[in-house]
Amino acid sequence: MSTTVISESNNGILHPVTAQLVGAASSLGGPITVICPGGVGSSDAAKISGVTKVISVEGECFETYDCSAWSKSLSPLIEGDLILSSSSAIGRELISSISATKGIPVVQDVTSLKDGFSATRTIYSGKAIEEVSISSPCAISLRPNSFESAEGGGSAEISTVNVSQEVAVAVKRALAKASERLDVSEAEIIISGGRGMGEPANFSHLNEIADVLGAAVGASRAAVDTWEEIPHSMQVGQTGKTVTPNLYIAVGISGAIQHLAGMRSSKFILAINKDPEAPIFGVADYGIVSTWEDALPALKDQLAELLSN
Amino acid sequence: MVYEALDFYDIDSLLTEEERMVRDMVRDWVEDRVLPNIEDACRDGVFPDEWRAEIGEMGILGAPLKGYGCPGLSYIAYGLICQELERGDSGVRSFASVQGSLAMYPIWDFGSEEQKEKYLPGMAKGDLVGCFGLTEPDYGSNPGDMITRAEDKGDHFLLNGAKMWITNGTIADLAIVWAKLEGDIRGFIVEKGDEGFSAPEMKGKHSLKASVTSELVFQDCKIPKDRMLPSVKGLRGPFSCLNNARFGISWGAVGAAQSCFNSAREYALSRIQFGHPIASFQLVQNKLSWMLREITKGQLLAYHIGKKKDDGSWIPEQISLAKMNNVDMALEIARMSRDIHGANGILDEYPVMRHMANLESVKTYEGTHDIHNLILGRHITGIQSFTREP
Amino acid sequence: MGVAVLLKQVPDTTAKISISGGKVDESSIAKWAISPYDEYALESAIQLKESGFGDVVAITCGPSRAAKCLTEAAAVGADRLIHILTESTLDSIQVQSLLSASVKETGCDLVMCGKQAADTNSGSTGPGLASTLGFSFVGGVTRVSVNGGLASATRLGPSGLEEVEVGGPCVFTFDKGESELRRPNVRGIMMAKKKPIDSLSPEDLGVNGTNSLVIIKDHSSPPEKQPGQKFIGSESIPEVVEKLREEANVI
Repeated sequence: MSTTVISESNNGILHPVTAQLVGAASSLGGPITVICPGGVGSSDAAKISGVTKVISVEGECFETYDCSAWSKSLSPLIEGDLILSSSSAIGRELISSISATKGIPVVQDVTSLKDGFSATRTIYSGKAIEEVSISSPCAISLRPNSFESAEGGGSAEISTVNVSQEVAVAVKRALAKASERLDVSEAEIIISGGRGMGEPANFSHLNEIADVLGAAVGASRAAVDTWEEIPHSMQVGQTGKTVTPNLYIAVGISGAIQHLAGMRSSKFILAINKDPEAPIFGVADYGIVSTWEDALPALKDQLAELLSN
Repeated sequence: MVYEALDFYDIDSLLTEEERMVRDMVRDWVEDRVLPNIEDACRDGVFPDEWRAEIGEMGILGAPLKGYGCPGLSYIAYGLICQELERGDSGVRSFASVQGSLAMYPIWDFGSEEQKEKYLPGMAKGDLVGCFGLTEPDYGSNPGDMITRAEDKGDHFLLNGAKMWITNGTIADLAIVWAKLEGDIRGFIVEKGDEGFSAPEMKGKHSLKASVTSELVFQDCKIPKDRMLPSVKGLRGPFSCLNNARFGISWGAVGAAQSCFNSAREYALSRIQFGHPIASFQLVQNKLSWMLREITKGQLLAYHIGKKKDDGSWIPEQISLAKMNNVDMALEIARMSRDIHGANGILDEYPVMRHMANLESVKTYEGTHDIHNLILGRHITGIQSFTREP
Repeated sequence: MGVAVLLKQVPDTTAKISISGGKVDESSIAKWAISPYDEYALESAIQLKESGFGDVVAITCGPSRAAKCLTEAAAVGADRLIHILTESTLDSIQVQSLLSASVKETGCDLVMCGKQAADTNSGSTGPGLASTLGFSFVGGVTRVSVNGGLASATRLGPSGLEEVEVGGPCVFTFDKGESELRRPNVRGIMMAKKKPIDSLSPEDLGVNGTNSLVIIKDHSSPPEKQPGQKFIGSESIPEVVEKLREEANVI
């Protein structure tokens, strides 16, 4: 059993998910090679415990992202029974391309992995769980934060390979960073306010947290009906939008049955309300009994700190 | 949740692929465009003009008519269109019924070649809106005694009189107006802007709030000679239009009832009282089961009369039965659904109170419930009981 | 010339999924639809056709029920319809060899599809197919236009939204596109009904039957929601945030 891990990077440094990929590979045993596209983070990758060797692949083609060019550069250097990547957008594309080049199947976004291999993933946007068996050689992308990270303290040897690969996809220009606020129907995280926010200007506290999380801001019908400043497009509920984000944060929303109808299928619900008897706590996974005035600043600071790491 | 229209007896399996595709197209449009905006439209008392344009773009107006840019669909497809539109709102279905069955149909069946060429293609696209003027302030169930008169002035006709309860009136580009010419009821095409013609909107309705209802007023209204529908005389003209509209209503009522049933079922499953969903209580289950039973019967009626419309073997009394039964059924289901929703049922968060109020109109227009009973009574006994005269 | 659009038929994203006997019960799925990202690919292909680019060839791979998504594509403007008829579950290599053979047969040098399908959410097909065909690949685009031999696309790249250019044969996968999706109309539906569907078996495409290397062992429902945990006061926030990451895995 030998594994090649395609490292993940972010803004020129190694992404922590790489240690999770190594952690998953370690549990299966055998030598582990980490391959670093563009050489990004190769010295940090070498420090992950359990890594046998690191291949730092360097070349001009890594200056911009062209999946095919990256795949052609990496594929010849990848050997072994199992290829692992993160199930990030680039991770999925690369591993798909590499596995196709090698003629081996790929299974994406796996959340648990057993010997042999038996892999688990969610399908139908989380409405079902699928267990599949795959024989090696094969490729698997793993969902971030689903596997234990390998510890630090390793000292793998790093070999550098220079590649020259023609780039077909040319980046012409960067467009304005699209930071328009997301619509609730599209967002993976939503923070919604109700009439408990007191006045519409206080939604700015929700906006600030939304900025930290990359979330959309929603509202209850009571808030939309009461304040002209809160448009109907933000309304979650029976007559608003039905949403199923990964995380729904309800602030100052009591949880009328009409609101619950629009958000109760969210994967995870955090409710903040000063009334311990509010019905919203009946559907919340985590409930914090607190005024928003106390809770939101602390929440923002904690999230900002966590996400900056 | 995806809308699962109640179809207990699998009517779906009897439809052609084309009929299903048309149904799904209208259903998707209603979900995307009508349901999110209907309460605003009702509060504002308007029929949004973009709905007119989009219904026109779908190409469903005058559904069963063939040629002159008309869709040429089956009557079953027309029924399905009405069902889906009315699942959204009776006012939206009314727009399409009036345009197709009451304004396009008489031109298509009784109009001259020139009239058909002139109006039908634009009406099929929704670019031209039509309305239908039969009912008068003093003559509703008894249109034969209408007051509106047409006079032949040699090179033109002169119309005098008034029509009331006219759907689409104020937004219409043309009106099919039934008036007496030398004692005979004839159909006339009156265009917006014709001298002496006005169509003030009637305000203050508690029902069909997202539909335009108007009066049509003719004061020495002068129209060219080529605007009379040449090939029909007498009440047969307006009644054949009404047969088609009533047919559509029998399907539309099923759509409104399906909407109320769905809302009641969902509400009953999520509303917790005494520690349990109210759907687990026998009295609520009894109501839901009654609704399912009545809707299923109504669907079978509508489907079967649709088949008969398609093969031409229908009689008007069969349409009367379907219209009367299905609207009555839908209204009862709306009331029962409101009951299941408890106090929440009166809120516009839920469609039920709106459907209930709409259906009161639907029960009354296009032949009241009672008039349809009299039509059937005459059919059964051979004795007409509309008038005291023999 | 021409664009091949790959469409996958999936349960409507709001449909309930029920499981019986360790398998998703397909018969209980209330509504099937074209996978949403694929719809943006289709829209973009039709717009290219309207701007003078070649025909739109819609291709689906799946059981007989999947033919419906081709007719739906025809109703909004697809010119040619190809159904690769397969009843069993296929692995990524099998899917890509079938699609690759089919794309080659059409002669299209642009291929468009969603960045991932709404059922498996995998996202293997686009990039894998590009490798198999030897085409270039641009993923997660919201817009594509073609000028002469060059295609230009907007994508969300690693450093934000960017415009890229690519020449020659290429596979594009779509995110939610910039354009509103067009609706079908009665005329389109009537024409679509008359449009023939080329129904091809893997053998017709010269792809020999192999066994899937990925075998589905079991489907199960996600675990029931645990009763919620309640915390008192804002001093609990550090603990809750920690749990959001470690326990709930949502941030």
